[in-house]
Amino acid sequence: MSEQTTELGHSIKALADTLIPYILAVVAAFAAVGIFFAAVGFDVLQAYSTILFTSFRTPNGFVQTLLKYVPLLLQALAFTVPLTAGKFNIGGEGQLIVGAIGAAAVGIMFSGLPMLLLLPMVILAGIVFGGFWAAIPAWLLYRFGINEILTTVMMNFISFSLIDYVATEIWRDPTAGHPTTVPIGAGGEFPLLVAKPPLNSGIVLALAAAVIVYVYVNRTPGGYDLVATGANARASRVFGINVRVMFLLSLIVGGALAGLSGAIEVAGVHHRLIEGLQSNFLLLGIIIGLMARGNLLAVPFVAFFIAVLEVGASAMQRTMMIPVEFVFIVEALILLFVLLSDVVRRR
Amino acid sequence: MKNSTMLEMKGVRKSFGTVVALDDVNLQLKSSEIHGLLGGNGAGKTTLMNVLYGLYKPDRGEIYLREKKVEIQSPKDAISCGIGMVHQHFLQIDSYTVTENIVLGTRLKNRPTLDLDQEEQRIQDLSERFGLEVSPSSLVEELPMGIRQRVEILKAVYRGVDVLILDEPTTNLTPQEVESLFQSLRVMVEEGMSVVFITHKLREVLSVSDRISVLRDGRNVITLPRDEASEEVLVRAMVGEGLDVGKSLVFSDTGLDQEALQVGQEPVLRVEGLQVVNEEGNPLVKDCSFQIREKEIFGVAGVAGNGQQELAESLMGIRPIAGGQASIDDTSIVGLETRELLEMGVTYIPEDRLQDGFLPTANVAQNLILGYQRQEPYHNRGFLDWNAIFRAARELITEYNIMTPSAKEPAANLSGGNIQRVMLARAFSHPAKLLVAHNPTRGLDIGSMEFVYSKLLERKEQGMATLLLSEDLDELMLLCDRIATIYRGQFAGVLERGEFDKYQIGRMMSGVETHE
Ligand SMILES: Nc1ncnc2c1ncn2[C@@H]1O[C@H](COP(=O)(O)OP(=O)(O)O)[C@@H](O)[C@H]1O
Ligand SMILES: [Mg+2]
Repeated sequence: MSEQTTELGHSIKALADTLIPYILAVVAAFAAVGIFFAAVGFDVLQAYSTILFTSFRTPNGFVQTLLKYVPLLLQALAFTVPLTAGKFNIGGEGQLIVGAIGAAAVGIMFSGLPMLLLLPMVILAGIVFGGFWAAIPAWLLYRFGINEILTTVMMNFISFSLIDYVATEIWRDPTAGHPTTVPIGAGGEFPLLVAKPPLNSGIVLALAAAVIVYVYVNRTPGGYDLVATGANARASRVFGINVRVMFLLSLIVGGALAGLSGAIEVAGVHHRLIEGLQSNFLLLGIIIGLMARGNLLAVPFVAFFIAVLEVGASAMQRTMMIPVEFVFIVEALILLFVLLSDVVRRR
Repeated sequence: MKNSTMLEMKGVRKSFGTVVALDDVNLQLKSSEIHGLLGGNGAGKTTLMNVLYGLYKPDRGEIYLREKKVEIQSPKDAISCGIGMVHQHFLQIDSYTVTENIVLGTRLKNRPTLDLDQEEQRIQDLSERFGLEVSPSSLVEELPMGIRQRVEILKAVYRGVDVLILDEPTTNLTPQEVESLFQSLRVMVEEGMSVVFITHKLREVLSVSDRISVLRDGRNVITLPRDEASEEVLVRAMVGEGLDVGKSLVFSDTGLDQEALQVGQEPVLRVEGLQVVNEEGNPLVKDCSFQIREKEIFGVAGVAGNGQQELAESLMGIRPIAGGQASIDDTSIVGLETRELLEMGVTYIPEDRLQDGFLPTANVAQNLILGYQRQEPYHNRGFLDWNAIFRAARELITEYNIMTPSAKEPAANLSGGNIQRVMLARAFSHPAKLLVAHNPTRGLDIGSMEFVYSKLLERKEQGMATLLLSEDLDELMLLCDRIATIYRGQFAGVLERGEFDKYQIGRMMSGVETHE
């Protein structure tokens, strides 16, 4: 009995230990930027209330937030899963783009198929293409030990040319002013979860992916292998874990998650391939993964918080003419303070 | 001059964060004496001498040299005061000659030409004078550990020090090299130098010191002249009241009791002509053949780096076996993966516990199941059973006396001795036929060493076969039923209990003798 209470006490203390630095970091970041706002002459309170509450004031704001949340969550997972094994996937946007290309290609080529067939094919194409795009650097790492940071970044650049080719040469939509493909078949579109304002059901897939990843990593021997590899690859190898396979698989799974988000952008949001659909999701995804310190339970919550800030930032720019970049500074400062709190704690 | 005070440290205190490594320590060194500084691992010996050598700034305390107070802020100050130190893990430039290594950092007369003939001659003279035999023109990388250490001592003598500090100098030496080192130290003190000789080995300190100081948990315990010191007094001082010396294995004179000496008949591990090669194909282990029976502890003695690690790793499936046969209970293990070996009941305590056995960012429970995550009871229908894992972890924490607030604690917070207890608890958490243990007590305090010994013997009595690779000859001679000596990847000989002879093993360790 007393053992259980101490275990419980331990858990509560551990939770408090994790949360307090976050709260302090958020407060400190807002305070720092607030001082700057005040100095420049912006209305600090109004700016902050726009940033923090736009998402919750109107149904439209909330739906906008959820739409932003899906790619951010998946990008953060695409970064965090390999990070669990100690590998850095900086190729999330390339994997998203190639996943989107795969989804769009299937959606256009088989546009006549009914939804029951086409939608799963589109989603699967996104996952497979994204996984494939990550498999190239993963294999180079596995086979030749080539640093995955460099190769995943380089794969991003290749994907930019690839999407440009697909959207301007192969399936170009001549009526659009921007490089865009023709729409995918209606059977490939995600059904709406809420009609007005329109919210597609991609969020269900994203949340399911987050749950599966969490359960796999924390509850299965394979997940244990992944965590152990990230904690000390040499010791894991000595005790029978094939760490090179772990590196390989974690990167491919990361790519598949990013590819899924590409498919959701195509099939859920745009219904076609648009150049630039990757937005700045990669960078935000990395920030989310680092803020969560690689904790897969924390990632969905941090991602939501960042989605709220992002939507708030656009609103602030529209209504108050304050550039969105300020919110990016807030986000960067939060990350900085969270990381600093680690250093402080180690003292 | 004899028996005047050469150096005195008074009231030294040094803490690292919350750890108080030294608390109000005094040390008095007379001229022309070998002063033994004795204490278990973690007692603070190295820290005390690092303070004297100017590497650590003490929180408090004073140093007097020939009764005059001195401030030593850096090793440079220490050397100009005539204090030299040979570290336990010293650094040398491998591609330089002995002479170049020794003169490095001193003021050379022929700086522009870098003509070292004079220096070489001086080093030759010093080496002959003190019996520190070494050829000044050989490259350091080609020298064995024992000679490299002589180079390090010559470095200090070359700089004309009056006080020489040696931190655990005997760790990597054969018994013969230890003898020869002691003789050199004698010559030095006869010429008026003073030597501080650090060790955790009782017999060494008794055989060479003029006076002995004992440190325990960062405090002075006693200082005694050699002729007033007995093993009993020193043991008591080293371990304090916490340990029952009568039952101690580490300090046992009589050896093991009858039960622990029993050896079974059935061979568990059979190795025939084992070969292990490095990436270039050069042999690291050559033609090793031996068997280990049930209830047998088979020791491997040798100077570090003679193939011990490679032998252990090849048997654990971490390195490939390049040639020969190895089997456990008549099943060949050549080509098996570590995971399969663990499932067969082979278990491993790696030498470098931090690098090879430890997950710092994972919690204690996760560390305790490493390698067993797919075995009962931790694994259940594709999922990890965390309830079972934590239950097992709590039991192991109690049984192995691992000091941690909870099984959920990050393992990085454990101390060295407790990390080794985790290694041990893990190795013994499943029934095992064969244990491969490499230096399982290195760096442990006496209580933890005692614990490791008793667990090894407990498992032995239950039938387990053990391959114990160790650099500590006393440990091997206490625990093993047979001892093989490895030299350059080859067994130079195998001795049975009863014919163990420290000096013979020492000769085999340095390659001058083989034994059939
Ligand atoms: N640089 C350091 N940082 C933190 N703790 C240290 C450091 N050096 C030594 N200690 C601690 O001080 C104590 C004494 O260590 P040490 O002097 O190395 O013991 P010994 O040489 O007698 O084995 C130990 O508890 C050790 O963990
Ligand atoms: Mg020491």
